[in-house]
Amino acid sequence: MFNYLPEQASEFAYKVDRVNQFITNTSVFFIVLICGAMLYFAFRYRKRPGETDETPRIEGNNYLEVVWTAVPAIISIYVMYIGIVTFREMRTVEPDALEVNVTAQKWKWDFEYQNGKKTTAEATIPVDKPVKFILASRDVIHSFFVPAMRVKMDAVPGMYTYVTFKPIKTGTYNIFCTEYCGTGHSAMLAKLRVVSEAEFERWLNDNSEELLKAQMSPAERGENLYNKSGCVACHSLDGSRRVGPSFLKLFGKKEALADGSEVTADENYIKESILNPNAKVVKGFPPNQMPAFEGQLTDDDISALIAFIKAQDGTRKAEEKKESKPQAEEKKVDLASLSPAERGKLLFQEMGCNACHSLDGSRLVGPSFKGLFGRNGKLTDGSSYTADEKYIKHSILEPTSQVVEGYPPAMPTFKGRLNDSQINDLIEFIKTLK
Amino acid sequence: MNSQTGELAGPPHVHHMDARTAYGAAKLGMWLFLGTEVLLFGGLFAAFAVYRWKYLGEFTHASKHLDWRLGGLNTAVLLVSSFFAAVAVDAAQHNDNKKVVRNLAITIGCGLLFLVIKYIEYSGKYHHGLFPGTAEWNSPEFNESYKCFFGLYFAMTGLHALHVIVGMIVLGWVLSLARKNRFSRKYYTPVEVGALYWHLVDIIWIYLFPLLYLVA
Amino acid sequence: MAESATGEKLNYLNHERGLWSWLTTIDHKRIGLMYLFAMTIFFFVAGILALCMRLELFHPGPDIMTAETYNVFFTLHGTIMIFLFIVPGIPATMGNFLIPLMIGAKDVAFPRLNLLSYYLYLIGAVLALVALVKPVGPEFFSNFLTWLGLTGPVDTGWTFYAPYSLESGTAVVWMTFAAFILGFSSILTGLNFIVTIHKLRAPGMTWFRLPVFIWASYATAIIQTLATPVVGISLLLIILERVMGIGIFNPKLGGDPVLFEHFFWFYSHPVVYIMVLPAFGIVGEIIPVFSRKPLFGYKMVCYASLAIAFVGFFIWAHHMFVAGISDKSAIYFSIATFGVAIPTAIKVFNWVSTMYKGSIRLETPMLYAMSFVFIFLIAGTTGVYLATLATDVFYHDTYFVVAHFHYTIQGGAVIGLIAALHFWYPKITGKMYNDKVARSAWFLVFVGFNLTFLPQFVLGMQGMPRRYFDYLPMFEPMHQLSTIGAFINGAGYSLALLNLFYCAFFGKERAPSNPFESHSLEWQTQSPPIHENFEETPVVTDWPYSYGVPVEGGGHH
Repeated sequence: MFNYLPEQASEFAYKVDRVNQFITNTSVFFIVLICGAMLYFAFRYRKRPGETDETPRIEGNNYLEVVWTAVPAIISIYVMYIGIVTFREMRTVEPDALEVNVTAQKWKWDFEYQNGKKTTAEATIPVDKPVKFILASRDVIHSFFVPAMRVKMDAVPGMYTYVTFKPIKTGTYNIFCTEYCGTGHSAMLAKLRVVSEAEFERWLNDNSEELLKAQMSPAERGENLYNKSGCVACHSLDGSRRVGPSFLKLFGKKEALADGSEVTADENYIKESILNPNAKVVKGFPPNQMPAFEGQLTDDDISALIAFIKAQDGTRKAEEKKESKPQAEEKKVDLASLSPAERGKLLFQEMGCNACHSLDGSRLVGPSFKGLFGRNGKLTDGSSYTADEKYIKHSILEPTSQVVEGYPPAMPTFKGRLNDSQINDLIEFIKTLK
Repeated sequence: MNSQTGELAGPPHVHHMDARTAYGAAKLGMWLFLGTEVLLFGGLFAAFAVYRWKYLGEFTHASKHLDWRLGGLNTAVLLVSSFFAAVAVDAAQHNDNKKVVRNLAITIGCGLLFLVIKYIEYSGKYHHGLFPGTAEWNSPEFNESYKCFFGLYFAMTGLHALHVIVGMIVLGWVLSLARKNRFSRKYYTPVEVGALYWHLVDIIWIYLFPLLYLVA
Repeated sequence: MAESATGEKLNYLNHERGLWSWLTTIDHKRIGLMYLFAMTIFFFVAGILALCMRLELFHPGPDIMTAETYNVFFTLHGTIMIFLFIVPGIPATMGNFLIPLMIGAKDVAFPRLNLLSYYLYLIGAVLALVALVKPVGPEFFSNFLTWLGLTGPVDTGWTFYAPYSLESGTAVVWMTFAAFILGFSSILTGLNFIVTIHKLRAPGMTWFRLPVFIWASYATAIIQTLATPVVGISLLLIILERVMGIGIFNPKLGGDPVLFEHFFWFYSHPVVYIMVLPAFGIVGEIIPVFSRKPLFGYKMVCYASLAIAFVGFFIWAHHMFVAGISDKSAIYFSIATFGVAIPTAIKVFNWVSTMYKGSIRLETPMLYAMSFVFIFLIAGTTGVYLATLATDVFYHDTYFVVAHFHYTIQGGAVIGLIAALHFWYPKITGKMYNDKVARSAWFLVFVGFNLTFLPQFVLGMQGMPRRYFDYLPMFEPMHQLSTIGAFINGAGYSLALLNLFYCAFFGKERAPSNPFESHSLEWQTQSPPIHENFEETPVVTDWPYSYGVPVEGGGHH
């Protein structure tokens, strides 16, 4: 009765519709009952000509009041309960869910798959396999709505949200933007193609890996390296000062060096600084901080990084930042299925610890993590330490307050950037490095 | 016009209720209004709480740019002003209009002093580029969390300063009535209601001060 | 009895004459009428905008306007209807007129503050109108307008969501400032009413002898005073962000756009009850009079008003289930929202039970009141879909929501106001309206309203998102039905209000002081009332619903 909902194309769609139908049936029952009573009274007790209007003075009935407080209350609790149960199911992400990054922008939907494949205005997913769309926005709030799948979620600038479901029917479905976003709001449509798994694999790998890489601009490859090689830990993109100078508007800038001379940050200077960081340190920044990347990066990589640094001219700031974030999120998403130590390893790379702490016992800016846990030694202030959980946590949060003898007080604080459970993950990871 | 029911007399324009009711109504009305003011600032306090939690370390650091001595001095100034406002109410209840004028003048003077100190603080921020609209503020290198902290700082203290000004105008009006010997044991509603408002302005500052200046 | 120069009985309408006497009046009755006059104009302006949108939506694709124009239209329709019409709405018109009369007072507690509220309302309205200005004319002039921030009519939707409202190139600052001023007006009105109801009740008028309209107005006034400051501060912050570049809601400046939604709905959910609670009160007054029966379960109805006002403060984020709040808070807000369903249900049951064994006269106000019950049942039950998490995910921001809140606000508050205007018409004007015309108008309103918005429920179920200038062809049939309904609805309102205005100025039929034989206090004085309401302060000895003959087991009061 009164059901105009679109077809049920996701696994939980029928459950949503069942809740919906229960509300409809109950509502219709009560509307008919109450309006029926009202119309019946209006007819049965109408004032007829010539009749007096004397009525019994009935002021209330406590028994009835209790009944019509309790009955709606009980029905409400039941509806609320089935609504919550279904909702929780709708929000639960299967561990093997296919992840697709969705970026909303006035007025288009961009999709990016984990192998780097990108599409716009059309997403393709395999049938009978759970999928998770991770939503982000480049400008204002949008909302990702797939009626046939019964899912909807806002894409909010500055944060990540998601929808998840398991499609059960192949076909093409509408995607709408349901949060008003300006002129093109009603044109911000996209298609969701659900295909067989074999077809999906074919589609996904349509472009070979090399082809994809070739499609990437040098700056994009450089951005990948920036994140993966740990540059991110010490060089910001937004102009804020970390351990090293920010990359924002760095290229072409005249820098005063510690020895009083001046240098222009051109290709050669940057290349030299990557391979041999201590040769020319910018005034105001501490020397001996940056590890040399000689042998770690190829010439090709360095060119890509230079292209990336050139791109940080301030005009593309917001865009670059937004683009770099979904990748971090992609990794975070795996986290639930990983062991703490495995998560710690990911953090070790993501947060850029690897820039200063080696895993093989070699000395970089900071002490190597190999065999660190349980180690005893002396601090710069002469006191001794044991590298237990408490010490490591303290070192992550307030690094400069307890520096191991022979090392510079160079590490940035991770207070506010790592939460407690992430720190524990890191500690678990360090413990495994016997 | 001036009905003499009970021991209270009404203000000259009130003709639709007796003086006791008018006094009660004015007080209830002012208390309700103070409630709305608290909620107005409540929104800002809530926003501050949210961002303080979001930018834990940065807020502490940003707060160090505020001079707690100037903030503390302003707290003292407002506390003193509130005391004199209370004395003015007492004077009105004792038929001493001259004393009302004197004390309200001190209260308003304290309000003025508060604004001067606030101005010194603001211009200091302006010179350090911590003021919205300066070149430093608009440069991309200005930290987001700082923008948030100082945005809230100026919104909260600015709105409060506006309340100080409104409070001074209200008390100025009460003072002008006192100069005309309007108040007595039987009728002192404007003095009391005006002082109530002034106390609220004071109390809001007492919350703002530790929140903004002393988090570091 | 005093008489005017022309030999008429003196009343609040003729004891002073001339425009100036109206503009400077501190009489609550005249202020109520001045609100009514201004609000009627805004109601029609926003209504015409709605009809234009319905015309545009008759076919998919652009027909009579561009997407930009459409976006401006729905923003103005929402902003004008909400801030200039229905939020001041029943409290400012009927509340102003009736509260002192119903409690036996000469005026509200602060008559001059009341007039100030009215002028703040007008200033807000003027600011909102100024915000429509586009930078035109010679270059220096258009540059000047741009400098003033008058960069064209607002296109943000009445919700002003950040960061859209922070980046929109339109006169958002002016419009939000207008809404801020209007909010201030609303606060002062609410404050005035609370003090009035507390302090100015006539001797013998105890709390449980108050008409339910007073209870409803009291609950409404509490919401007005407590919720409005919060939206005030969030609109102020929007202005500061735009003017000074501080970062509270803009993610690019370190802010959080979801926080704005929290602030906004902390006010704008309770504001729904500012709109409908007084309408509940009106229905609670009308049904007993035309059934000749006491209001069934009077105390429960009074408590229910307070309960709705109270619970209404804790459920705001049910507008944000898919806005990026945590699943846990979504669950909490869903549970809390169901808490408001129960007092609402109680009211409906009590209204209908009042008619049992009555002596029912289907006069025009009663027809409106009964339509209200029907419409509000649909509004309430469709609210359940939106409070339930699993289904709200689907319905959020679709036409289902559009239909739901129009059932609540237009079907509830506007029809409640029209019912009130008919019911108290003899008291306000001293005349009778033309009954035949009033009944035809009621029929048009009822049919047109349901024809407009029932199809929109279907559209929502089919997945049609709201605020869409253009749509897929599958949605066309229901859009066409809705457009036809909208024009019938508009004709109905025009006819009803024309009838009321015409009869007020040119009607011949004089109304007796109590044509519907109500027991409530406002009917015990002459129609229209004298300037100070009552010849002498009334002494109340009974509640206003003592209809019928006492019976065994009929409950007690």
